[in-house]
Amino acid sequence: MMNKKLIDRLQILSISLIWLLFTGIAVWILNLIKESLRLHDAPDASLGISLVAIPVFFTLSSVLTYVFIGLRKGRRKGVES
Amino acid sequence: MEKAPAAPHPEYDLLRPIENPGKSFYYIVAVLLAIILYTGYVYIRQVYYGLGVTGMAQPVTWGFYIINFVFFIGISHAGTLISAILRLSKAEWRRPITRMAEVITAIVLAIGGLHPIIDLGRPDRMTHLFYNGRLQSPLLWDIVSITAYFTASTVYLYIPMIPDIAILRDRGVKPRWLYEFLSWSWQGTEQQHKVLDRAMNILMVVVIPIAVSVHTIISYIFAMTVQPGWHSTIFGPYFVVGAIFSGIAAILVLMIVFRKVFHLERYLKLIHFNYLSVLLLIMSLLWFYFTFSEYLTGFYGHEPNEMRVFMYKFSGAFAPYFWTMVTCNFLLPLILLSNRKTRTIPGILIASISVIIGMWLERLIIVVPSLANPRLPYPTGIYIPTHTEWMLFLGGVSVFILGYMMFARFFPVISVWEIQEGRHESAKTVTERISSYMPDPQPRYTGSMENE
Repeated sequence: MMNKKLIDRLQILSISLIWLLFTGIAVWILNLIKESLRLHDAPDASLGISLVAIPVFFTLSSVLTYVFIGLRKGRRKGVES
Repeated sequence: MEKAPAAPHPEYDLLRPIENPGKSFYYIVAVLLAIILYTGYVYIRQVYYGLGVTGMAQPVTWGFYIINFVFFIGISHAGTLISAILRLSKAEWRRPITRMAEVITAIVLAIGGLHPIIDLGRPDRMTHLFYNGRLQSPLLWDIVSITAYFTASTVYLYIPMIPDIAILRDRGVKPRWLYEFLSWSWQGTEQQHKVLDRAMNILMVVVIPIAVSVHTIISYIFAMTVQPGWHSTIFGPYFVVGAIFSGIAAILVLMIVFRKVFHLERYLKLIHFNYLSVLLLIMSLLWFYFTFSEYLTGFYGHEPNEMRVFMYKFSGAFAPYFWTMVTCNFLLPLILLSNRKTRTIPGILIASISVIIGMWLERLIIVVPSLANPRLPYPTGIYIPTHTEWMLFLGGVSVFILGYMMFARFFPVISVWEIQEGRHESAKTVTERISSYMPDPQPRYTGSMENE
C-alpha cells in the first residue's frame, strides 16, 4: 500500500494540474484574440466565443476543486478512511 | 485472477466484473489489442505515404474520417446529456443506467475528437492551432466545444463514482493505491454527501447546454458553407436530434450486452428497456420529421445545384444508402417498437443496431454527395474507401470496446451507491414528491355556502 502522505500530495498535485490545464486553455484562447486584433480578423467573433468558453472551463475546475476540498474537510475527525 | 478479498457485498453482482473478471476478459483484450496495433501500423503508413493511400481525392476530400468523426461525436450524446436530463427530472428508473451511458460519452468523445487529426495529411501541423488559430472558424469552435464537453463529461462521470471507488478501496481491491487516490477520503458523512449533491446539481445544469452546443457546432462545419445539401438553417437541431437518437440506440445495445454477459437481469429490467425504447421510437419519429423537412424544402426550391445533390441521393449512385438509411432509422424502429409484441429484448436489440447503422449511413449521405457534386462544371466525383479507412474505422470501434471493458474491469458500470440509496430512499422520496404536487383533498363541507 502506498504511503498516505504521498497520496495526499498526489491529490493536491492533481488539483494543481487541473488548474494549470484550464489556465493553459484560457491563455491559448486569449492569445487567439490577441492574434485576431493584430490581424484585424473578426476580433468581435473571437471575443464572443471566449466570453462563453473561458468561464465554462473555470466553472468545471472550480467544481472539481470544491468537491476535492469539500470531501477532505467533510471527513470524520480521527477516522482513517 | 484475483480472489474476492472481502465478504460478499449486498450488490456483489455489480462488483463481480472487477473482483473476478474471468479468463475470457483477457482473451478479448488480447484480440482487441492486436486489432489496435495493426490499426496503428496502418495509420503510420498513411502518415508516411500521405492521404494518397485513402480513397479521398478531388472533389471528395472528406470521407470516412469525417463521417466517423460526426458519427462518434453523435454517439457520445448517449451519456452525459441523457443522464443529466434523467437526473434533473428526478426519474428514479435512471439509477442502473446513468453510469453506463456516461462512460460511452467519455470514451467515444476521445475517439471521435481524434478523427479530424487522422484526416490530416500532416498531423504535425495541428500545433499551428496554438499560435495561428482563427477563432471565427467553425473548426476551431469545434475544438473548443469538444474539449469543454469532454472535460465536463469526464468530471460528470467521475464525481458520482467517488462513493463506489471508496467501496472498492474498503474491500481491499487492487490496485489499492488507485482507489485510495481516486476516493478523496470518502467516508460517506453527511457533509460529504452534501458536497457531492451540490457539485452534481451544478454539473447537471452546465453539461446540458455544452452537449447541445457540441453537435450544433459540428453541424456548422457543413451549414456555414454554401455547399448544396449543407447550407441549411435546421442543420443544428437536426444534428442534435440525430446525435441523441444514435446515442440512445448505443446505450440500449450496451445494456443488452452487459445484462447478458454479467447476468444483470436483477438491475437492468424489462421496464428500463421499455422506457428507453419508447424514447428511441419518439426520436425516430422526430428524426423522420427533420429529414422530411430538410429534403422537402430543398426539393421545392428546385435550385439546379441543390437538385443534383438531391437526385444523387434519391435515385443516383447513393440511392441504395439513402433508402437503407430511411429503412434503418425509421421503418424498422417504427415496426418493431410501436408494437408491444415485438418490443422485446431481441426486438429492441435489432431496432437499436439498425439505428446505429442507419445513423452512420446518414453521416455518409450528408458528407459525400455534396462534395461529389461540385458547383463548377466538373464530372461527378466518386468515393471508394480503401483498406486504410476501413481499418481505422475498425480500430476506432475496437478502442471503444477495449476502453469500455477496461472501465468495467476497474469500476462498477452500474452505480452501487445510487442503487442502494434508491432501495432505501426512493419510495419515500417519490411518495413525498407526488403528494406535494397532487391537489389538496377537498375540505369537508361544514355548513352553508353563504359565509364563503
